[in-house]
Amino acid sequence: METTLQNVFDLAVTVNGTRYEQAVEPRILLSDFLRHDLGLTGTHVGCEHGVCGACTVLLDGEPVRSCLMFAVQAHGREVTTVEGLGTIDHLHPIQEAFQEAHGLQCGFCTPGILTTVKVFLEQNPNPSEEEIREALSGNLCRCTGYQHIVDAVQLAAEKMRK
Amino acid sequence: MKLEGEYTFDGTREDVWKMVRDPQVLATCVPGTQNLRMTGENEYEGEIQVRIGPIAGTFSGRLLVANEVPPVSCTLTVEGTGKVGFLKGRGDVALSEQGASQTLMKYTGEVQIGGKVASVGQRLFDTVSKSMIKQGLDKLNEILKTSLA
Amino acid sequence: MIKKFIGKRVMRNEDPRLLTGQAQFVDDVEIPGMLHAAFLRSDYAHARLLSIDVSAARQHPGVVAVFTAEDMGDDWFPGPPLVSPPPTAKDVTFHSRRQVPLVKDKVRHAGEAIAVVIAESRYIAEDAVEDILVEFEPLEAVVDLEKALEVNSVLVHDDLESNLAAQMFQQKGDYEAARQQADLVIQRRIVIERGAAAAMENRGIVAHWDAKSQHLTIWDTTQAPIPIRNGTAARLGLSEHQVRVIAPFIGGGFGPKIMMFYAEELVIPWAAKKLNRPVKWIEDRRENFYATTQERGQVHDVEIALSRDGHILGLKDNFLHDTGAYDPYGLTIPLNTQSHDMGGYDIKNYSSEFKVVFTNKTIVTPVRGAGRPQGIFVIERMMDAAAKELGMDAVEIRKRNLIPPEAFPYEHKIIDQAFAPLIFDSGNYKAVVDKALDMIGYDKFVKEEQPHLRVDGKYVGIAIAPFVETTGVGPYEGARVTVEASGKINVATGIGTQGQGHFTSFAQIVAEQLGVEVNDVRIVTGDTTEFHWGTGTFASRGAVVAGNAVHAASSIVRKKILKLASKVLEAPEDELELEDGQVRVADIPQKSVSLGELAVLANPLRGAVEPGTEPGLESTAYFGPQYGATAFGTHAMILEVDPETMMIKIRRYVTVEDCGTVLNPLILEGQIHGGVSMGLGNAYYEKLHFDENGQLLNASFADYLVVSATEMPRIEVGHLETRSTLNELGAKGVGEAGAIPVPALFAQALENAFHDRKLEILEMPLSPNRLFELLNEEKSR
Repeated sequence: METTLQNVFDLAVTVNGTRYEQAVEPRILLSDFLRHDLGLTGTHVGCEHGVCGACTVLLDGEPVRSCLMFAVQAHGREVTTVEGLGTIDHLHPIQEAFQEAHGLQCGFCTPGILTTVKVFLEQNPNPSEEEIREALSGNLCRCTGYQHIVDAVQLAAEKMRK
Repeated sequence: MKLEGEYTFDGTREDVWKMVRDPQVLATCVPGTQNLRMTGENEYEGEIQVRIGPIAGTFSGRLLVANEVPPVSCTLTVEGTGKVGFLKGRGDVALSEQGASQTLMKYTGEVQIGGKVASVGQRLFDTVSKSMIKQGLDKLNEILKTSLA
Repeated sequence: MIKKFIGKRVMRNEDPRLLTGQAQFVDDVEIPGMLHAAFLRSDYAHARLLSIDVSAARQHPGVVAVFTAEDMGDDWFPGPPLVSPPPTAKDVTFHSRRQVPLVKDKVRHAGEAIAVVIAESRYIAEDAVEDILVEFEPLEAVVDLEKALEVNSVLVHDDLESNLAAQMFQQKGDYEAARQQADLVIQRRIVIERGAAAAMENRGIVAHWDAKSQHLTIWDTTQAPIPIRNGTAARLGLSEHQVRVIAPFIGGGFGPKIMMFYAEELVIPWAAKKLNRPVKWIEDRRENFYATTQERGQVHDVEIALSRDGHILGLKDNFLHDTGAYDPYGLTIPLNTQSHDMGGYDIKNYSSEFKVVFTNKTIVTPVRGAGRPQGIFVIERMMDAAAKELGMDAVEIRKRNLIPPEAFPYEHKIIDQAFAPLIFDSGNYKAVVDKALDMIGYDKFVKEEQPHLRVDGKYVGIAIAPFVETTGVGPYEGARVTVEASGKINVATGIGTQGQGHFTSFAQIVAEQLGVEVNDVRIVTGDTTEFHWGTGTFASRGAVVAGNAVHAASSIVRKKILKLASKVLEAPEDELELEDGQVRVADIPQKSVSLGELAVLANPLRGAVEPGTEPGLESTAYFGPQYGATAFGTHAMILEVDPETMMIKIRRYVTVEDCGTVLNPLILEGQIHGGVSMGLGNAYYEKLHFDENGQLLNASFADYLVVSATEMPRIEVGHLETRSTLNELGAKGVGEAGAIPVPALFAQALENAFHDRKLEILEMPLSPNRLFELLNEEKSR
């Protein structure tokens, strides 16, 4: 193969508690790095222009669009993806609530919604329906019409307050 | 998309005409022009760098001047293609004397765009093209005023 | 019998994987040595291809191959026709022109694929696409439907005489005679424009040719894995058993993913085999706006004839249907429009001719609703026009014309999209309308609340729209149900799933029959090695057609279980019950045997098996309906418009659905909510803007507005159940229902809100801008 890695950058980043050190090209998007270099395919890419929100991950605890960032911008920082929330056997209360309230259908937009909601509920543990809809307005979902997602967030808030 | 407008230059019609027909002057005035070469009596070739919202790219193309009635009017035809799409335009330019030392330029034209510039940049194309025209004409007027000063 | 699982709000089996990022979507497939593809697509909507120079792209470091139509040689041929014209109908014109893998001579829509670059990474492939030089001769684009049919129009397909792709006439009774009898005849022109399906997951395909085993594996975002396998095998000269197509988790379908074969589906498997390397192609969002199919564009000239008391005597609807650059989907959509033109009303005389038109736009195939929203929009707009002309109440005129319960099965004497006679099998339409009126408090709102709100200067409108949905069409689906030695149940079916909850609703059907827990039933869909036969997930048919196949197969397995258990437990079959994974003698619960033990006994390793018996507790069964089951529903809304900004607020939204037996109310509600959100997009937010040159001007989510959480109202869902007579479960489909009546409902509510302004809406989708224009046109008239 003739491809030469030009200007590779030695990236050090912590993802879901694990530290990774890897050489990456500066132009590699954070979403591609997470999905294809680290194999964390739970983060989904829906629009590549920062509108749909499916690729939302947490960077030092704040939600960011991983399709609008280069991997190198995460250097020295901490990333949380959907894989960092809960596991199949031990779902995070938000994940439990989404299952109970049927807050997902195809599940493609779900990882971005879960990461968004996690931060939202940390900042606002007892939100109104209107506040929830506002918080979700940056995440597009084509399947659910959002109602069961709103219900799931309310249920998750209840679970987390306990 | 239709383009229409007018602009008042601080110079005589002959001065304005001479300037507009000088590729070197044009090249410095059209924002983003990297190169403009005369390839025939009324034909120019060149490259122009354009940024429309999220889309940026270079178009290379041709500029034709036709229906020339010096120093009154002419028709400009532009065709450009690049990695972000294509554009085709046609415009009629007319100059009329405005008192002793001013010239009014009226232009009407139509632009067709395709590819990324159309599908993603459309919303901003109108604003961007108007601002490019304004910038270009302002610059022309600057040069005109300097040369007459 | 009281149902234990069917009809219950069972949580979904598939969710934990989806919620933790462990569900595999096509773009998640990684294979060592995999290459990545990017397509060069046309910037022009209509242009002759003069030359392509790929030499620089081939030189680009990291590029493995660049293919054009020419490079495909004898392997270049158009996709297969999907839906042929109805064999039984008379006077049908149909010119089949199918999409091509890569453009050879002429580009017919912007975004059509011209060449493919295959490289070590997608980044490199996309860079190299920009190195390809193409010389075009731009041609005038065919965009407008009516102009396209003018004699001197430029042709999309040069070998045809005109841009007419198809033409068909259907009638019932005698419209002209009915018109003579009418007290009132109303004519309108109704224009409906295109929208996008906009599934959150773009399309994608991974193809892996294993030269040693001579097997081709394809992961594809398709709603129809089995036809993709069959077609790919045929194209590549392979046996169907050498090709495995997997439709893993799919991030939403909504119709376009049933389209086959897309150019990329024709090219990528071919390239993988040729290069002997796995190849992945993942569509980006801009490509999705151009290269993924779209729907809705139609122009209707409608005429309705009524008596003075508001009875419909006849309906005539001649319309044009935009099929885009090719017509692989035949007449499906316009036939669906005809099937819904009469709504749920008893209309004895109907006449309709449609013309399908080629244009230089993206190919049209069904998008959730598939011609139905257009039909309902047409009839409901005419009902509102008639009510106003006759000075009748909008509800009263509708009720007066609904098909009465005793008229079922109600035969329309035209054919539907599956070429079967259009027959509405069962229903109680008036009860559904009444329930919707009751839920929204129609009378109280109109008499008591609305007058006050109007006095306060509020523009508040109410609306009610009944609709039918033909669902669950043939030809067939199948399923195989197996009791495994663990006592768990494995079910395989050929359809694909895109979020509809099949892993759960099918499991409920099985659990009901076999007395196991829902999460002890493992459902496999969308993998052709698991099940060989089937067509796909479309036309709201998954739960009806595949669901009934699952039901049939599990009923047979139940019989096998009872027969064997009867021997083992030495008790007659009718004294046995299946519960908690056990077969028990009804009155002696300690006398029992587990399904797992029975599965082992049914598949002995030694000894003799009785002649004529099959091993195992397994059955494969198929279900093919005689004709489609027709569901009915009614939506109602109360809407408030800000007369300055034209922004809307939906105060109440009520739906009542009668989709026969409800398998899982939780999933059903989800389907309806989602449908309504798409319908609301079709009504007020989502319009694909093509300019006069065929350029799509809003190909991003920044410009094309998909409804978000803040625009969506809370939806109140009511149910009535009239079992379908066409299948054992009594089910009718509901997947598209939510989307169908929304634009019609929305238009009615707007007119009601601006009751003092003589607003008439004859187009969809609207937008705040467009509504503002319409109100100003009305002012200046």
